[in-house]
Amino acid sequence: MSGNGGNRALELLRSLPRVSLANLRPNPGSRKRERRRGRGRYGGRKCGRGHKGERQRGNRPRLGFEGGQTPFYLVIPKYGFNEGHSLRRQYQPLSLQRLQYLIDLGRVDPTQPIDLTQLINARGVTVQPLKRDYGVQLVEEGADIFSAKVNIEVQRASELAIAAIEKNGGVVTTSFYDPRSLGILCKPVLFFLRGQPIPKRMLPPEDLVRYYTDARSRGYLADPSKVAEARLELAKKYGYILPDITKDELFKMLSARKDPRQIFFGLAPGWIVNLTDKKILKPTDESLLKYYST
Amino acid sequence: MAAAARGAVSGILRRWAPRALPLSALPARCVGHGPAPAPLRAPLWAPRPLGGNRPQTAAPSVLSSVTPLLPSILQQPARTLTYYGLRKGKRKSVKAVVKRFLRLHNGLWVRRKAGYKKKLWKKSASQKKRLREFVLCNRTQCKLLDKMTTSFWKRRNWYVDDPYQKYQDRTNLQV
Repeated sequence: MSGNGGNRALELLRSLPRVSLANLRPNPGSRKRERRRGRGRYGGRKCGRGHKGERQRGNRPRLGFEGGQTPFYLVIPKYGFNEGHSLRRQYQPLSLQRLQYLIDLGRVDPTQPIDLTQLINARGVTVQPLKRDYGVQLVEEGADIFSAKVNIEVQRASELAIAAIEKNGGVVTTSFYDPRSLGILCKPVLFFLRGQPIPKRMLPPEDLVRYYTDARSRGYLADPSKVAEARLELAKKYGYILPDITKDELFKMLSARKDPRQIFFGLAPGWIVNLTDKKILKPTDESLLKYYST
Repeated sequence: MAAAARGAVSGILRRWAPRALPLSALPARCVGHGPAPAPLRAPLWAPRPLGGNRPQTAAPSVLSSVTPLLPSILQQPARTLTYYGLRKGKRKSVKAVVKRFLRLHNGLWVRRKAGYKKKLWKKSASQKKRLREFVLCNRTQCKLLDKMTTSFWKRRNWYVDDPYQKYQDRTNLQV
């Protein structure tokens, strides 16, 4: 039976004329005829403008006008909802679930320190420094399924997220990047193509100094001994055994941290990176060295 | 380099710490004034005598009695929505809307009640409490406000300690 159908189809193919524009038509109902304005019985006559009045004559008042009555958007009193919105700092959230997803797919390498540049290269987060983004914050979503040992550096982290990472033997650091440094960190290649020396990262402003010198938020300016104490306290609070990272084989990688004035690992402020010639130029002038080393 | 940077930071912190005021200098100056008062100095301003002592001009002009037409009175606010700006050809937001309303990311607009700080003496306590509440706008109002603002005001914001963060998303919404 099936062989018969196949033979019949082949015979049809031999006998029917070739497929051309004259033989083709779309499925009925898939294409609807366009109603062009000003043409024909239905598109023409009043042309969709209505009957007389301001509507047909194109003289309607501005949006929000209510005939002279104080319009709704002016009756409501002013209130500072959006006051200072362009000065408020924003931090793009990064959930632990997303971080685990990126590590599992191999987009982020847990054997190297995870930086904002690594996250952006992996297209894990999108940070817009020009929209008052000051970096990335760690969020607790997925803390129960997180199981990766990482050395991660973010700009803000919640307590539970820090606990979840340290439980798995990782290290969290929160550090501050001023907007210019953040722009350079997010798009390093574009910056290197500019040919400017790497600037030194600025220290946090007054209201953020307290946050970044606090050991509980694992600030990069905090005392390392206090950070160790805070790790123990957090382990006691959330009830897990803090693994000893000094005995770990990746201890050197886990303890790698950036200098407060450094933007990239392995590159110091003041250096110029030449991508085309694959060279790094370092300053030799004393005043420059003094400026970049403070 | 890390230690030097930390030293610089602590130096910055030291500079920001409040300096102790030299309090010992003040009491001595206050006590010394007691027995011998300072010599009287001429007052810095002379009190103007009451009554019409002003030099009279020949003919008082009309303009002196009428407040000058300040440029601020001549400028009336423009409430139009600009669809295509002159310089960049872009749509502009109406500032009046931005100053009075807050857009949540789920599409709702938050506002205050009109009259929440006016004539409170004649309003009952329950009325005042109702006026103090934050209210949402209805569908037509939301659509109007969306048309009056650009997409910048519709973006998702992740502010630090935003009191409206939990209202940015709807939960358990069934249409």
